[in-house]
Order: sequence, then structure tokens, then C-alpha cells
Amino acid sequence: MGVYAVTGGSSGIGGKTVELLKKKGHEVINIDLRNCDIEANLASPEGRQKAVDELHQMHPEGLDGVICCAGVSGACGNLELIVSLNFFGTVAIVKGTYDLLKKKGGTCVVTTSNTISQGAARMDIADLLNNNNDNEQRILNVVSSMDGTNLSVGNSIYVATKYAVARWMRRHSASYAANGVRLNAVAPGNVNTAMTATMSANAKTALNALPIPTKYGKETLMDPEEIASVIVFLGSHEARGVNGNIMFVDGGTDALLNTEKVY
Amino acid sequence: MKPIERFIEVIENKDFMALGELFTQDGHYCDYCANGTAQHEYHLYGKEAISMFFRNKFLFRQYAVMETEVLNERQAEFIASFGGYYIMAIATLQQISEDGHIKRMTVRPK
Repeated sequence: MGVYAVTGGSSGIGGKTVELLKKKGHEVINIDLRNCDIEANLASPEGRQKAVDELHQMHPEGLDGVICCAGVSGACGNLELIVSLNFFGTVAIVKGTYDLLKKKGGTCVVTTSNTISQGAARMDIADLLNNNNDNEQRILNVVSSMDGTNLSVGNSIYVATKYAVARWMRRHSASYAANGVRLNAVAPGNVNTAMTATMSANAKTALNALPIPTKYGKETLMDPEEIASVIVFLGSHEARGVNGNIMFVDGGTDALLNTEKVY
Repeated sequence: MKPIERFIEVIENKDFMALGELFTQDGHYCDYCANGTAQHEYHLYGKEAISMFFRNKFLFRQYAVMETEVLNERQAEFIASFGGYYIMAIATLQQISEDGHIKRMTVRPK
């Protein structure tokens, strides 16, 4: 059985991923803010380093998998947090554990979003994240000047971070694979969480206008387990031929809205 | 009301469910109009897919039609707006079932 580290493993998709991995007999290290094995705030450079250091202390022999689920939505009202956690928090953990993954020929799955294909991203921010990410604070300063109370602004930054994570994964997947580490991403549709259970009527209307074909007529969202099971598959030996792939796990929303996008 | 008139009515009302119901179970909607995004074609098969697609476009892309005019039994023209990106379009009923449902419709730039 393997050793997997999961960020954001205390709830939602991350929580289900931890549960499914444990059911399969794996050892799982949950990295989160609380109720976890490594308490670390991945929105800060110090928190990321703490998580990486503790993983090295716990498993110097290496890791079989790193699953990055920690993130916040575009509605959280804090644009800097969206950028620092969703993008920098993900990339820093993957980079920081690369040596551990290489030791065991491990695999990594990052979580992006099916919204990356819907044209809502601030691509200038996504470009900054992918091409000029050596100075995190400079990018945080740019987004902090935007209106964090505007939901559409929050969403456009959220999508930009998810787009950038997906593109970062694609750019690095070949090199990582050549060194024995597979990199893949899942792109979930809207998922049932504690937050979506209590959202406003307007927010619910917006979510329902992103129809999920497999849920047709049910006015419901994806179950976290539907996403987690694909993450577990991508992190398994059965998926050893899959690398650099962004797997949409959205019940067909992407295909519905982008019928002509075959590749 | 003729199918082409009904199509214009439901799309003006942004009634995505009624729009889907105008089509046969496997009805085909093809849209070839530029819309301000990188994707300039949509091919939707099945009334549920058509309904879900327009539910999304009516809200997120603010899809709307204006200056509508029914030209004949099978065609209507209108100015389509995709979130403020305007294009003159012509909708054509290519095939209709015996019971009056749309089997195939194309929407092309005029």
C-alpha cells in the first residue's frame, strides 16, 4: 500500500479523497488548517514550507502520491487568498514534494475546475501566474487593487487561478514523467458542499445555469465522491499511462458548452 | 402557430425548457454564428441538451434576439446578441417531423 499526501483533506472533495484512499488501505497524510495530520496555511509561503518540511520528516523514503485539493471559491471575497491558495499553494506543494515523489515513482493530481473552458478567466492574471510567478507579492498587489466584493471579479480571478494551475501542470508534465512522476488534473463541475447547501437564490440560479447533463432534471450538483473517485483512479497504478491530462469530471457540462472542442 | 414563429417566441422569452420541447427527442440545433468567443460553431443533439445549453447561454452569455422577422414557413431572421456581441442571423428549419417538431435547425450569419 502507498503513502499519499492530500491537501484540503478535511472536507469536500479532499475529504472524500482521503476516505477513499484509506478504504483502499493507503496511508494518508491530510494537510489542512485543522482536523488534520499537518496543520498548515497553504496560502502563505511559511505555511507551504512547513507542510513540505513535515512531509520530508515523516516520509523521507518518499511518497506515492500528492493530491492537491485545497482551495477557495471565487465567492470567498478575498482575491489575494484565491490567488495565494489556489495557485501558489498548489504549485509550491507539488514542487516541494517532487523529490519525495521521484523516490517512489509517485504521482500527483491537482484540482482545477471545469470553468477553465468557459471563457471567464482573467487571462492577464493567468498569464502573470504562469509566466511571472517568481514574485508572488507583486501579483497579489495587482489583484488586491480589484473589487473583491464583486462576485464576477472574484469568479474571473478564481477561474484564472484554476486555468493557471492546469497550464502549469501541462507545462511540467513531460519533464516530471521523464523523471518517473506523473502529473494530472481533475476539472470538477460544481460540487455539493456545505457552502452550496446554504447559498443564496441568485447563486443557486447561476449554478443551475451550468447544467450537469448526468443530473438532468434533478437541480442538483456533483457529489464530492464522484470527483474523489476519479482522483483516486488518476493516482493509482491503473492510470499509469495517463500523464498531462486534464480530466473533466463534471457530468458532461464541458461537452455540452463546448461541443466542437475535441482537443 | 407555425414552428418557426414558436421558435422566435420562446427564444425571445428566454424559455429554455419550451425551446427544447420544440425539438424532436434527437433534434439537431446547429449554430454557425460568431459569438465573441473562440468557438464559432455549436452542434447540439437532443432536446434536453438544447434546453440545458440555452439555460446557460441565456444567463451567462445574456444571449438574446432582437429585430426578429419571420421570413417564410421555414425561416426567420434576427439580430443575435451574445453578451453584447451582435450578429445578423438567419434561422432555418431544415427538417420537421410529422407532428411538427424540429428535427434539424441551422442558424447562420446573414
